[in-house]
Amino acid sequence: MTAIIKQELKLNLKSLLIWALTVGGLGFICILMYTSMEGDVMEMADTFSDMGAFADAFGMSTLSIATLAGFFATEVGTVHGLGSAMFAAFFASAMLSKEEDGHTGEFLFSLPVSRGKVVTAKAITILINLIIFTAICGAFYVLGFACLGEEVPAKEMIRFLLCMLLMNIEVAAISYLISATASKTRMGLALGIALIIYTYDIMGRVIPDLKDYLFIGPFSYVNASEIFAGIAPPGGSFLLASIVIVATIVATFICYTRKDLAS
Amino acid sequence: MGNVISIKNLTKTYGKKRGVADVSFEVQEGEIFGFIGPNGAGKSTTIRSMLGFLRFDSGSIEILGMDAVKDHERILKEVGYMPSEALFYPAMKVSEVIKYAADVRRMDCRDEAAKLCERLQVDTSKRIKELSLGNRKKVSIVCAMQHRPRLFIFDEPTSGLDPLMQNTFFELIKEYVKEGTTCMLSTHVLPEVRKHCDRAAIMREGHLIKTDTVENLIKTSVKNVKLTAEGRTEEYIFKGDINELIRDLGQKNIQNLTIEEPSLEDMFMHFYEGEEEVK
Repeated sequence: MTAIIKQELKLNLKSLLIWALTVGGLGFICILMYTSMEGDVMEMADTFSDMGAFADAFGMSTLSIATLAGFFATEVGTVHGLGSAMFAAFFASAMLSKEEDGHTGEFLFSLPVSRGKVVTAKAITILINLIIFTAICGAFYVLGFACLGEEVPAKEMIRFLLCMLLMNIEVAAISYLISATASKTRMGLALGIALIIYTYDIMGRVIPDLKDYLFIGPFSYVNASEIFAGIAPPGGSFLLASIVIVATIVATFICYTRKDLAS
Repeated sequence: MGNVISIKNLTKTYGKKRGVADVSFEVQEGEIFGFIGPNGAGKSTTIRSMLGFLRFDSGSIEILGMDAVKDHERILKEVGYMPSEALFYPAMKVSEVIKYAADVRRMDCRDEAAKLCERLQVDTSKRIKELSLGNRKKVSIVCAMQHRPRLFIFDEPTSGLDPLMQNTFFELIKEYVKEGTTCMLSTHVLPEVRKHCDRAAIMREGHLIKTDTVENLIKTSVKNVKLTAEGRTEEYIFKGDINELIRDLGQKNIQNLTIEEPSLEDMFMHFYEGEEEVK
């Protein structure tokens, strides 16, 4: 199993670095832009605070974007949330199906390793990649704060990154199940799911009737403005996320160990 | 000699599509066993069921005395499999693929791999994406042989290999077989079976129609008849009472006649074109 984990980490290193440097780099640039926009941001903060539901949706009513923490939460929070969810979906959706899609399954599964172990090894690889991705992006954000000579709100930043990691794991778990059931890589479907759950969260924050059901979506507990303002996520969101992760991983095991492998 | 492979009443369907039905045969220890049939006959379905890639509907498969479903992982430790397509991760180097296969097996196969690479002239520094089918096949042979398994299962092994390499490949098989390895060779290249196999099984449309020694498959009551009569040349396979054939020929004005044992190719075509099922 260790050999498979090492192999997968090696094979996916380039992709991981491209995604992490892109998302982290974008966040870093956003942070640096804060000083050049500081004056305008004050006026923007006043305007946004009067925008009602839309300000709620993007967290601008919770935290002022005139502060660096507020600016980070609204701007970088969105970039990281979307970018990391797409990375998780992209990465996990190909993890198992690529073996059948690329016809490498006959080589891999002729080696003395059970399908259960392959599913476990690849799930561990996804987890390691998501942790490294989060760590690289986090390092960029801390560097951004340091470049501006601002103190990093450490507690909030760690909570923000851990919540994002949990959301990424949830999106990856759903995408991993898609990967186990399909014999062709369904990257488009997985990316679509990531975008739909992001849209669901935005809609849930704009439409008052949907607010009670916000906790269903993984983005409900990664709203950076709420995290930086110290507001608790919707009740049950963490519990539901844990249930989704466990259920999809169990379903992945069942599907993949019972299916006929395409030649 | 015991059975290394024992398949009983194997049936596998793909929804409404036919896979294989009621296939039973044995492969004995130390033999080279040919598994013959055209594309779609059910050879790959049988092999993929043996290796656990497919969940078969009914029947049983025993390999090296172990159950193919329950002892799947243990069986694969003792098996060297070469798939027909020989596809690997394109970005990897040949040396990395060979090492990866050994690492998953938790074995140090460097000496054997080096010997095989030398014999097969494998350039281990190249990336998989740079290799032709023939060269990928050679990598596949190294991966299947480097751990010195007790059983080889090869699916269309020689397609893409040049004649020199085909010779080296069969030399290698014979060397391993001499040391106790058993080999099952799925192919539709009949001269290979005739030249290298001890016994063979013939598959047709998902059914096993004949299993016997290669010698017996050729030496049957079936005759290959080639005749020229009244300016017309005919060639056909005759099966039945030889006296009937002679009576039939006696009524013709024959200019030239040859009656000989059929080649394996002729036998194969006979089994394929024949209406009746030969057991």
